[in-house]
Amino acid sequence: MLPDPVMSYRITEVELTEPLPELRLARDQDGFGLIARLHDRLIGFVLHPAPPGSTLNPLEMQRLVDRHFAMAVLETTTKSMLAQRMRIQPDVAPPSLTIAICTKDRAERLRRLLSSVDAVRSKSRLRSVEVVVVDNASVDDATRLVTATFENVRYLVEHKTGLNFARDAALHAATGDLLAFLDDDVVVDRGWLEGLFEVWSDCPEAGGYSGLVLPFRLDTPAQIEFELAGGFGRGFRRIHHEPSNLDNPLHPVGAGVVGAGCNMCFDRQLLLQLGGFDEALDTGAPLPGGGDLDIFYRVLRSGRSIVYEPRYAVYHEHRETLEQLRRQYWSWGLGFMAFIVKCRRTDRELAQRQAAMIRWWFVHHGLALARSVRRRQWRRARFVVAELHGGVQGLLGEYDRSIGRSRRIREHVARRSGQKIGSRPIEADNGSAP
Amino acid sequence: MNWQVIHLDVRSDLAHLAAGDGAAFVVFWWGSLPLGARRYAARELPLPPGRLLPLCSQLVAQQLAARLPELGAPLKPGGDAEPVIRLSTQTAIAFTQHSAIDQMAVGSVEIPDDLSVVVCTRDRPRELHGCLRSLGGQRPAPLEVVVVDNSEQRSAQPICEAFPEVRYVHEPRPGLSIARNAGIAASRGGVIAFTDDDVEVHAGWSAELARMFRAQPEIDAVTGLVLPSSLATRAQRFFQFDMGGFGSSFLPLRFDKSFIEEQLPHGPQVWRIGAGANMAFRRSVFARVGLFDERLGAGASGCSEDSELWYRILASGGCCFYEPRAVVFHHHRAAWDDLLRQTRAYMKGHVSALVVQSDRHGHRSNLQRIVRALPLYFSRMAIDVMRRGSKERGSVLAREVIGWAAGLQYLVRPGWRRRMAVRPGK
Repeated sequence: MLPDPVMSYRITEVELTEPLPELRLARDQDGFGLIARLHDRLIGFVLHPAPPGSTLNPLEMQRLVDRHFAMAVLETTTKSMLAQRMRIQPDVAPPSLTIAICTKDRAERLRRLLSSVDAVRSKSRLRSVEVVVVDNASVDDATRLVTATFENVRYLVEHKTGLNFARDAALHAATGDLLAFLDDDVVVDRGWLEGLFEVWSDCPEAGGYSGLVLPFRLDTPAQIEFELAGGFGRGFRRIHHEPSNLDNPLHPVGAGVVGAGCNMCFDRQLLLQLGGFDEALDTGAPLPGGGDLDIFYRVLRSGRSIVYEPRYAVYHEHRETLEQLRRQYWSWGLGFMAFIVKCRRTDRELAQRQAAMIRWWFVHHGLALARSVRRRQWRRARFVVAELHGGVQGLLGEYDRSIGRSRRIREHVARRSGQKIGSRPIEADNGSAP
Repeated sequence: MNWQVIHLDVRSDLAHLAAGDGAAFVVFWWGSLPLGARRYAARELPLPPGRLLPLCSQLVAQQLAARLPELGAPLKPGGDAEPVIRLSTQTAIAFTQHSAIDQMAVGSVEIPDDLSVVVCTRDRPRELHGCLRSLGGQRPAPLEVVVVDNSEQRSAQPICEAFPEVRYVHEPRPGLSIARNAGIAASRGGVIAFTDDDVEVHAGWSAELARMFRAQPEIDAVTGLVLPSSLATRAQRFFQFDMGGFGSSFLPLRFDKSFIEEQLPHGPQVWRIGAGANMAFRRSVFARVGLFDERLGAGASGCSEDSELWYRILASGGCCFYEPRAVVFHHHRAAWDDLLRQTRAYMKGHVSALVVQSDRHGHRSNLQRIVRALPLYFSRMAIDVMRRGSKERGSVLAREVIGWAAGLQYLVRPGWRRRMAVRPGK
């Protein structure tokens, strides 16, 4: 068992082709997060707890690096050998891309994100890269002012509060063939855009792409706790999520394995055909989740695949306090079950699988709770309880309550701006989304 | 669902993986080198090159690491008998000989003129016919093929007459171990390879085995890869996918005494070394550790006579090698009831072998497996059955528990445990 994190982890990068450095921990650090690159390509990440103030000498570093990254190196070099022999280059021109950043009242984080995007967009092999900031009803001017300091960034306002309102606004304003979404609490890796280009050129037929999410910092027990529990990690191998998957009897109802909403990209035409995002999910504070699951699920159900690419990577600012993290677990349970309730209503074909998923989810969390109680991991137990609580609440009518809320938001905003309601068909309104 | 087994040489056949009318179990090959296998739903096929590339990179890289001495080959098994790759980052970065995979693609041309193939059979004429036909197609051909007929009515004799190069031996005393021992006595080769009557062998099977034994004189036994020949029925797919088939590793692995020693605290998992449907021994081994234990195996306690022999070999300081290049295709039980019967026999035989291993070597952890690890495994599986709500898994688990309970009898039969059942080989 790993010791309970109490301090902070030092996140550091190593370039494997160079001599390994000696790493020293400060007195208030009790572990490393090691990001490994090979010729600047991201190939691995590992968490390694160590005593505060200790030093990891080059020999120990070597052992750690060998254990976790040596095969990744061999696979990477093998891939470039095979690519020359096997690769059939796509005979379509590179697509254009719109990067949509939906944000609300987080001007400083937005500035950080836009800087990181700025650093990668100029070097891209894509046909063109457009950046759109959707200001989701921020209370003041700060978001607009920050956006104005960057060149070639479009700014638009979505008065209806809710992440999926903002995503839909971006969808209708975007011009790119591909539409990549970034949450405002991430920073993109310097290989982010190249990773997206690579996965597109290997799999141009996919309906969407999801990417790796690494921790931006591990400064608090909550952030470390979350990352040690697996974080958003989906590993360092590309994963093809197809409409059917024989290895997982619950697929694609367990859409969470596909990726995370803070870093995802879609074929924009496909999203338009699907009717965009479900505006009753991911509505902010009352129901902060489920929107990404829903869109992943609908893309897969439409017959297109979603490909996970680890080099299409961002760094996510995890929840800082344990209370925030607890609330996050609650919201995952809530969002997941609201999503399942919607699926059960709109996609009867997979009814059996959806029921099995609910059963699996409760047994899984019940066992997780039992395990953490047995091991006296009370903190973990509280998180599991929070997620279970959210799950129950989500099953008991949260989706309907959220539909009502999003309708009221729409009416409210429409009244204020004197517009007619429903200028655009909104799927969640009548509960019969595609 | 309509299932097919597809063999795909990823060097050349990229375009040939057509969309079938059903799901597929795809075995990936690099020439004659098996790389790995995956299953796909019908709508996933054909696989686009962009999807094959990362998978092939992973599979080829693993083969390189497992087969090139400069990358740390041969691999040794870890805690769960899985291959452990010990590669240093510096070696991996400096490595440029990826084209070594092309040399590995070439099959063995070793002439197996010192290798006898022994097939034991009992009242399965139709399956035996397929088996002998495949053995007749061995290129290059082995020294001899010996069929040991374990039936009272000599039911295999008419089949064997259709294959003039096959030598027929009748062993009326029932029991697979007894039949195998009769095959050893009747054969002449310095290496004896066993396969079962419900198996068809790959054309290069004998040559691959012969190459292993000739190249590495210290090896006492070789096991190989057992692939499903068909996955048409629910029972066959359940055996392959849910019960793991006859092992799924495509990486060569070297087992020696340290395997027994390292695993001693929890009972050595010798059954992970291979399968009786695809195994070979040097004749000298039988003189050193004795023949198959006649209390074990089909027709006696149920199974595990093969793994118990590997146990003796390793414990005596010998060496076993799993070489997946030696490929056979097994007809899994097609009927669900047959699968249940087989499951019960496997578990009963497993328990009996654990008793024998404990008695013979004084390794008590084998008994602890019976009373601790197996019940724990059953309860874990029971939770899993509840979680997934799988009736199929539940009925198989029930047969495992019944087989285990039936195997407990061997613990309390001092006469059986004392019986001198291993005869020395010549």
